[in-house]
Amino acid sequence: MAAKVLLTREPRSIGRSLLLTLPIAIWAALMFTPAFGHANRAQRIASVITAIFMVILFFMMMRTWSTYRWRRWFFVALGLLFPVGFIHQVIAMRGTMGIPIEEMIAGRTPFCFLPIPLLILPAALFKTVVFPGSILAGGGMSGAGMAAMAGIWLAVAIVVGKGWCSYACFFGGIEEGMASLPAKAKVKKIDPRWRYGPWAVLLAMVLLSLALFEPAYCMWLCPFKAVSEYVAARNTVGMVQNGIFIALFAGLVVALPLVTKKRTQCAFFCPFGAFQSLFNKASVFDVKIDKARCTPCVLCQKSCPTLSLSEASIAKGETLMSCMKCGACVDACPKDAVVWHIRGTEVAAKPERARLLFLYAAWGMAIMFAGGIIAEGLATILHLFA
Amino acid sequence: MQKLKAKLGYAGAGMTVLLAVLAPFVLYGVFTKGFSSVGLHVDEMYSGGPKVRTIQAAGYTIDIHRQVSPHLLQNEKAFVQLDWRPASALPSQVNDDVDIDGDGKPDVHVSFAVPKDPKAPLRVNVDPLNPRYEAMRNVGKQKFSELIVRVDDAVLVRVPVAQ
Repeated sequence: MAAKVLLTREPRSIGRSLLLTLPIAIWAALMFTPAFGHANRAQRIASVITAIFMVILFFMMMRTWSTYRWRRWFFVALGLLFPVGFIHQVIAMRGTMGIPIEEMIAGRTPFCFLPIPLLILPAALFKTVVFPGSILAGGGMSGAGMAAMAGIWLAVAIVVGKGWCSYACFFGGIEEGMASLPAKAKVKKIDPRWRYGPWAVLLAMVLLSLALFEPAYCMWLCPFKAVSEYVAARNTVGMVQNGIFIALFAGLVVALPLVTKKRTQCAFFCPFGAFQSLFNKASVFDVKIDKARCTPCVLCQKSCPTLSLSEASIAKGETLMSCMKCGACVDACPKDAVVWHIRGTEVAAKPERARLLFLYAAWGMAIMFAGGIIAEGLATILHLFA
Repeated sequence: MQKLKAKLGYAGAGMTVLLAVLAPFVLYGVFTKGFSSVGLHVDEMYSGGPKVRTIQAAGYTIDIHRQVSPHLLQNEKAFVQLDWRPASALPSQVNDDVDIDGDGKPDVHVSFAVPKDPKAPLRVNVDPLNPRYEAMRNVGKQKFSELIVRVDDAVLVRVPVAQ
């Protein structure tokens, strides 16, 4: 849908596009410089390919004025390559994707960002982290520890708000890839009340994590355990947990995106996404609808992968709190009424300036955080075939 | 007023880009240090609690940890963790009376075999000599509060405390 609209707009000149891409090219070179000198040949090649990939995508965003379709290439690559690198690392270290109890006791459970909101209450009330990892370096497979993951998450969250879910989350790309496969959605009408799903899951998981003193989402509901690391099935409970992980992954991340063309796990289930929505309130970047231009055709609403636009919100000229700034609605609008916006400025005053500033911040973060993950997955593939 | 708001908005956007540039060099490190300095600790149900005493045995030591109690609805029992280390110095069969509370009298008798293969599963028997502790019969690693596992160069036994 976005591609059709973009053809109506003259592409930006190559020279100007290159000029606008230059800061990102320099940033990519800076971020990947340590990896360029890596002793492992596969790592070096993967880093060069990733840096070029990220710079080309940014160039195309500049040249075509489109954000979503190029960002999607990056995001799907991230979603597909993260499990490749991660699973390879886990298997190489332990010979299994199941985390044994010994590793939990040793504090070597890899820590991802998803349980962060669940850990806040026990940490605030009891100064206790209810996760079997290490707070400082030496824990987790990266050796960086939970404090490092929390640090990087906070840095990215402050910069791009819920843009985390479009530019940094290493799981969302799987369902975005699935959602992009069919030409048309088989299920078009979705009850808007499903939007409250992530908030309900967040509330339930926060309270359960406090009561059970364990990261309840990781233990019971995370669909991505199916493609990362699950609880080693020591008993019947473990078997049930793993069954739930696989069923949720198959349903929310594979089947439902295929029939709805939506990121169903993100839109209806992810507690981290709900929590991350709060950071949208602190971010200076958002997406607005210029009511003077809007017809309204609701193409933006249809294109949104997370149901973050409703007829009421369009009438008010804004997206819902859950907007993850992927740019799908902006690209889909045939009237250029949906625009990138900086808080405080007039709507549609200088939308391209707002898009540029947002993309410099978001793409810079993407290269810094997700670029390394893409390179790692790519290096694994190169290593396997070399 | 609108102009001022717009200027503040652009200033905020510029600051955000600046923060993005600073993130890998300054911001990330500041936040990481911040998180690590607020005095948080990993739940003792996982870590086993701090070590309080060490008993010297023949060629190896037994570390005794502080009792760990479950929180709220945590589906575990209270336990005391005992670490035999180094695992490489342990005899093929360990049979030790352990004085957990330090009163000079043994509280539990612990016995387990130490296979040469470090990946081989372990099983432990614990006979309480003090009613404060619970018996364990041929236990492996079903629960955090009653188990035997090898972690690096130590064999950890968690003895449940009677409710």
